[in-house]
Amino acid sequence: MIKIEKNKFDEFLEILKKEYNVFAPKKEGAQTSFKEIKFAKDIEFNNINTKIPKEIFFPQAEELFMYKDSKIENIEKKKAIAVWGVRPCSAKSFILIDKIFGRAKQKPGDKNFEDPLWKTKYDDSLVFTIGCNTPASTCFCNWVDCGPFDSTGSDVMVYDDGNGFLLEGISKKGIKFLSDIKDFEESNDKDRQNIEVLKNIAETMLSKPIDKDLLKVKIDKSWNHSIWDEMSAKCINCGACTYNCPTCHCFDIQDEGKSNKGKRIRLWDSCMFPDFTNEASGHNPRDLSKDRFRQRFMHKFKYFPENNGDYLCTGCGKCIQVCPVNVDVRDVLNKIIEF
Amino acid sequence: MVKELQEKVKQLFKDKKVDMVIGWRKGSLPLSSSPLFINKIEDVDNLIFDETCQNNLAVYITKDKRRLVKDGKKIGVIVKGCDARSLVLYCVEKQIKRENLVIIGVPCKGVFDKRKVMEQVDNKEVLGFSVNGKEVTIKGQEFEKTLDKFEIASDSCQSCVYPDAPVFDEFITEPRKEKPDIDEFAKVDKFEELSLDDRWKKITDEYSKCVRCYACRNVCPSCYCNVCFVDQNDPQWIGKSPEITDTIIFHLIRNLHVAGRCVECGACARACPEGIDLLLLNKKITKEIKERFGYTAGINIDEKPAMQSYCENEKQDFIMG
Repeated sequence: MIKIEKNKFDEFLEILKKEYNVFAPKKEGAQTSFKEIKFAKDIEFNNINTKIPKEIFFPQAEELFMYKDSKIENIEKKKAIAVWGVRPCSAKSFILIDKIFGRAKQKPGDKNFEDPLWKTKYDDSLVFTIGCNTPASTCFCNWVDCGPFDSTGSDVMVYDDGNGFLLEGISKKGIKFLSDIKDFEESNDKDRQNIEVLKNIAETMLSKPIDKDLLKVKIDKSWNHSIWDEMSAKCINCGACTYNCPTCHCFDIQDEGKSNKGKRIRLWDSCMFPDFTNEASGHNPRDLSKDRFRQRFMHKFKYFPENNGDYLCTGCGKCIQVCPVNVDVRDVLNKIIEF
Repeated sequence: MVKELQEKVKQLFKDKKVDMVIGWRKGSLPLSSSPLFINKIEDVDNLIFDETCQNNLAVYITKDKRRLVKDGKKIGVIVKGCDARSLVLYCVEKQIKRENLVIIGVPCKGVFDKRKVMEQVDNKEVLGFSVNGKEVTIKGQEFEKTLDKFEIASDSCQSCVYPDAPVFDEFITEPRKEKPDIDEFAKVDKFEELSLDDRWKKITDEYSKCVRCYACRNVCPSCYCNVCFVDQNDPQWIGKSPEITDTIIFHLIRNLHVAGRCVECGACARACPEGIDLLLLNKKITKEIKERFGYTAGINIDEKPAMQSYCENEKQDFIMG
């Protein structure tokens, strides 16, 4: 584990920039979101409530290819990406999306499908995850197999002890990167003890998780239950939750342009929208607000776990913060358990 | 006041004057409330009204939520001034019969704009608040900050001249006799003073933040087309990417489609996860409509809407020069 004092962060950034395009939280107006960073002074280090970093690897609108006359032009590959300062809930979300877009064969008989746009960006990336010393009241990462210091999806874990950052290699890539950089001091026993203290404090700030076994039993039986009518009544079916969710990854494909020049783009889509499942025949299997509301939670807490072994939720709480009508995923889970 | 409200709603249930009442309950976050659908008298105790009750509940009468409103059933809706105006709009536009509505007015003193509060406390976690007249004390983990209530009120409240329901069946306490002494178009006037380039820059700067989540459209009571033009895909009317050209078309068409119908509740701006100033252009159009046609939406059920009527003496300078 190496130690970087905050006033030496510029030096560290210079090293990182040699091989990577560096993304980090940057404050612009009232929002803090992940942007490409040239100077350490542009980084907002303390805001836990940044926008989610999904866009770095999975932009809202992404060109699949362009065409001009009758030629197809592929999109050029860019320099590898390093992301500084994502939270454990975001780092884990990369792994979850990778289960879909970056999937190599996971079990015999699986069809091998990989998404080149995701893989070219994500596979070479270096993810620096910063542990959350003070989780927010909307955080429920401990409910869904994540946590304020969970290292899933991280190449390097970063601990902020007030004076500086302690960097711990997690993945092979991360360990190699740290062993290659010189000029920074090694951490000592006291630093390591401090980290343990920070971890313990953070744990106590989180709420008691739900009973996951019970959730499984109940959600399996809930399909026709009236709780879905009750819970969805207030949902207005906008896409604020899905577009701010680190794990939502559904997309739409659109062609833009004319016959001799144009592009095919992939765009975020949302299961909350009525046209998401509208079929060419005019039939819509998820016609009602309730159907779409139920789908979102079923996908996250039933279908995805059944297919991939993990909840499609990392407990970041962003959807709770942005929902205009206060749909709280924790209330939804509690209602499912209690019916 | 909340006790009175609860008693009134209970009485309405007892007298069988309502089959369902839509109101607010305490939300899961300190600065939030949540829409509440009351079907039986026991649920009334959850009812609240305070500065967190920012949703315009009229929205649940139309759109996909239409099914909540069963044929011929009597729906009570608890309303601030702006929400009541939406209900009036629905009566004017024949979305619901007046006799099926029980409009329950509450004295609105403005609602919080969560984003403004968060800015004032440097985005620190808010754990609670208390209101004392014109001051609000925001409490957090290790801080307490007293703020001017007007400063953290929603933009729509800062320019609101109809805080109480103009039409109602019941009113908790008394509606104010006089309109608030506020220049409702102060922000619009300032915007109009800008040069054409600066106005366009302001609009493009704001709308370029849009991620096309349609939260603004979906919380808007005036936006209730069966199929919105942005969802129309055969033929497709508009590109779906968040590029400024398409985004701005979405917003400008929405602005024009709610011209003379917008009740300036500001629900769009509060719902926007990107913090876009969505009220400004709507307010600008409201001003135009008022000046040209002397019409304000949602005030009078019997008055013909500006965009659906014609008078010979209307200003026509935009046609005749």
